[in-house]
Amino acid sequence: MATAAGVACEAEIVRITVDGLEYRLHAGPSLLAALDQIGVLMGEVDIPHYCWHAKLSSDGSCRLCQVEIDGQTGLQTACNTPVRDGMIVHTRSEAVVRARQTVLEFLMLNHPLDCPVCDQAGECKLQDYAWRYGAPNSRSREPRRKLEKRIDLGPGVVLDRERCILCRRCVRFCREIPRTGELAVFGRGDRSVIGLFPGVQLDNAYSMNVVDLCPVGALTSRDFRCKARAWQLESVEGVCGGCARGCNIWLDVAKGEVQRYRPRRNDAVNDTWMCDAGRLSYAEIARSDRLDKAWIRNQESVLEPVSVASAISEAARMLAGLVAEKGAGVIAGIASPHATNEDLFAFKRLLDEIGTENSGLAVPHGEADELLICAEKAANATGARAIGFEDARSLLERIRGGGVDGIVILGHDILTAGYLDDETLLGKIDSVILIDTHQSSLMRVAQVVLPARHLAEKAGTLTNCDRRVQRVRPALAADSELLTEGEIVHRLALALGLNGFEAGYDLPRVSRSLAAAVPPFAGITIESLPSDGAQLVSDGGEKGAVR
Amino acid sequence: MQKAPHVTDYLTRHCADDEYGCLRGFEAQGGYRAAHTALREMTPQKILDEVRQAGLQGRGGAGFCAGLKWSFMPAPEQQPSYLVCNADESEPGSFKDRLLLERAPHQLLEGILLAARAIGAQKSFIYIRGEYAEAARVMQRAVDEAHAKGYLGDDVMGSGFSHDVVVVRGAGSYICGEETALLESLEGKRGHPRVKPPFPAQRGAFDRPSTVNNVETLCHVPHIIGRGAAWFRSTGTEKSPGTTLFGVSGHVVRPGLFELPLGTPLDEIIFEHAGGVADGRKVKGVIPGGLSMPILPAGELDVAMANEFLQEKGSALGTGGIIVMDDRTCMVRTACVISEFYRAESCGQCGPCREGTAWINDIVTRVERGTGTAEDLELLVDICDGMEGQTICAFADAAAWPVRALLKHFYADFERHVREGVCSFSGSFQL
Ligand SMILES: Cc1cc2nc3c(=O)[nH]c(=O)nc-3n(C[C@H](O)[C@H](O)[C@H](O)COP(=O)(O)O)c2cc1C
Ligand code: SF4
Ligand code: SF4
Ligand code: FES
Repeated sequence: MATAAGVACEAEIVRITVDGLEYRLHAGPSLLAALDQIGVLMGEVDIPHYCWHAKLSSDGSCRLCQVEIDGQTGLQTACNTPVRDGMIVHTRSEAVVRARQTVLEFLMLNHPLDCPVCDQAGECKLQDYAWRYGAPNSRSREPRRKLEKRIDLGPGVVLDRERCILCRRCVRFCREIPRTGELAVFGRGDRSVIGLFPGVQLDNAYSMNVVDLCPVGALTSRDFRCKARAWQLESVEGVCGGCARGCNIWLDVAKGEVQRYRPRRNDAVNDTWMCDAGRLSYAEIARSDRLDKAWIRNQESVLEPVSVASAISEAARMLAGLVAEKGAGVIAGIASPHATNEDLFAFKRLLDEIGTENSGLAVPHGEADELLICAEKAANATGARAIGFEDARSLLERIRGGGVDGIVILGHDILTAGYLDDETLLGKIDSVILIDTHQSSLMRVAQVVLPARHLAEKAGTLTNCDRRVQRVRPALAADSELLTEGEIVHRLALALGLNGFEAGYDLPRVSRSLAAAVPPFAGITIESLPSDGAQLVSDGGEKGAVR
Repeated sequence: MQKAPHVTDYLTRHCADDEYGCLRGFEAQGGYRAAHTALREMTPQKILDEVRQAGLQGRGGAGFCAGLKWSFMPAPEQQPSYLVCNADESEPGSFKDRLLLERAPHQLLEGILLAARAIGAQKSFIYIRGEYAEAARVMQRAVDEAHAKGYLGDDVMGSGFSHDVVVVRGAGSYICGEETALLESLEGKRGHPRVKPPFPAQRGAFDRPSTVNNVETLCHVPHIIGRGAAWFRSTGTEKSPGTTLFGVSGHVVRPGLFELPLGTPLDEIIFEHAGGVADGRKVKGVIPGGLSMPILPAGELDVAMANEFLQEKGSALGTGGIIVMDDRTCMVRTACVISEFYRAESCGQCGPCREGTAWINDIVTRVERGTGTAEDLELLVDICDGMEGQTICAFADAAAWPVRALLKHFYADFERHVREGVCSFSGSFQL
């Protein structure tokens, strides 16, 4: 996607020296942007900054990023000094150290120091920088400014004006990214405060990104408020399952639960943003309607809980019986666009080995915009199509015609996507085997129900709307009775005695087979996938059936 | 408002004449003659060179060479470029531009025409301080008159050069005098100074190359073009040629404006022209160039009023607004008043300026009220260090310099407050 800070791709490459180390980077952008582009900013090169943000216009107001440049008098702000060939930069000179101390002293003058009750504590740039670069004591004897501490800016975000350092990232974000411009600085000088324009709320689809942007605890998430301390959180790389964009995220885990999603930077996908709906979708993981055990419909036509192993045996028995009696042509499968590439590949192979071509895919749709939000409300519809699943409409026709007697259904997208108003049609099928993460009315017609892991609980890959394959890792340890769709269908295949399914489900092996069997996935395996993903090979060949 | 300076020269000679404010009266005194000749007979480059050779320094405060600034403008192209006249005059102690706007509007328009021609600007904006309602009215009338006469609009004076002037009123903010804040305000945005680069000549008003000049700076231009660089250089000093309008205020017998050559000694201005200090009192300190310029103590008044000499004394010419304080003045109270102004007017973008101006004001107010300490006085100097040269615009310097200079030259006043725990300058005004 386009980036706000724009990378001049054809810019000339120059050499600069920072603290004695040489770097080759693009001429043109500011020193901070250029160092950020080559990935050394805040790693090898430590130039603290507040107002500058890689994806926003430069502001130049916090004055923290000052560095010394040979041949220039005084200090220069790294966020708006263009890179030039041969530039020699010092980030640790005495003058720089003193300037940082002074800037921090100014910013701390009126700070309320309420870290013990502040959500940002532990991931606060004011804490971090004051600790690393600040003077140990404040020299101020003046009373601190008293301001409003809890202003609801909108449904997702709460403002504490005392903590704000007026870096204006939030203001620039609203103007430049969603282009809704709800926020502004009001008042002047030391009366400056962040606020909403009269009559508006901070309620754009991306509003909660300001919480991540805010370097201090001035903007906090109403959802996350007082839920966990930053240092208790373990962050796991993942991908949001809310839509086909597949925004890269961190899943922050504490007490065995995902406490929040936060965007993880990927310039090829979501820059540093994600939408609010996606951010809040973590709640579905622990929702009370999660499926956590297997069920089989008994003689009295009532679902009764069983072990996963018995449910799989029962499913295999049903399918085997149907194939023996009526042939493989009466078996069908419905794939879920929420499942991973590996799950779907295993599923496709199951259907292929059974010998049926009856399969379909139902993708829920919703609103889209020009920034990130895609109309396809699932993370892997593109992957499902690349693996060979086609739209479920013709399969439904077949079912209506009575040509299907046994079906394996992943998820309940067939309902949410609006292909069916309810489960009635599927009730006509003798054997419905449902594999899902959450309960749905499909359970009413299912003979066998198997619980599946949520994206947050498994490893695998997903293919986004731009055909980028991205990796997810388990953020939560799942119960041993909770398997991935891939493993469930694998066990089902073993129980059916199908060809080519080796004992024991091995994800890397499935991934390698996928890369070998489905041309667009050539060369892409879960083990070799970089953390920012990789593009599917060809642009055509969408319906690359299993080779 | 006086109608003319107490001492006049070429800029203000006819200001007392009400007719001079109309086009006819202005032309009767030789007005627009320079424009008539130059627009038809001089190339833009020739105009620029003449002004550059004249060594005209900007009169808006920074004293930057006008001809040099004009030369930064890119060659004219299809897209417009602009000349912006800074008439925001808000520096406390400065009131010269107001006279030039109200009493000699056509002189400014002629200067604008010539400058615009030199830099190839298609349009000019005169950004007038919000409180200057009369000046805005007079300027607008002059613009209308000039239009009607064919001195503005298409094909000015039959020269083939076309130019329009738009009069814009500010909304009352000191920072909008800073040229890039002015440009933001002109565009209808908040008056926040811009980060440089890009400089206005690269990207100014409405994203187009622009030059910002002070009212007085532009008023000198017709005289330079009419009479030549050599004539201009015959007054003033080698480095600072020409006259300027000194505005004298404070404890003097005859406050007001005085058009005098640059380099006129400060004591001559105060004691001869402005009649000296009232009631036979003595001078305690003088701010030589508007509130932002560092104060000079009584012993240093023999300085020639030009940047090269004032800088040796640690101050600068600024806008030429001279504020005289007599020996009753409490310099701590002065610091309070000054720092309150900067606290009120900081735009608030930069951490060091936003927080520093407030912190300084808090401390000096405490010192004035008698609860200051010796450490406070040291801290004030440190705060000034932390502000000067550390921000987007020169406002933070302008806020720090006066305080630093007051501490340097009048430390005894501050110390006495700390020692006695009270302000003992009874004659001084109340906070
Ligand atoms: C805080 C601040 C306030 C200023 N106010 C004014 C002003 O009111 N009028 C003015 O002409 N220049 C003012 N200036 C200077 C302008 O930024 C700019 O230098 C000037 O208009 C350029 O014109 P000149 O080159 O003709 O002097 C101010 C500068 C600062 C930093
Ligand atoms: S609320 Fe946060 S992001 Fe916004 S200006 Fe204040 S510190 Fe910066
Ligand atoms: S120095 Fe002060 S007035 Fe100038 S931009 Fe910064 S905060 Fe605004
Ligand atoms: S990051 Fe450069 S001034 Fe704020």
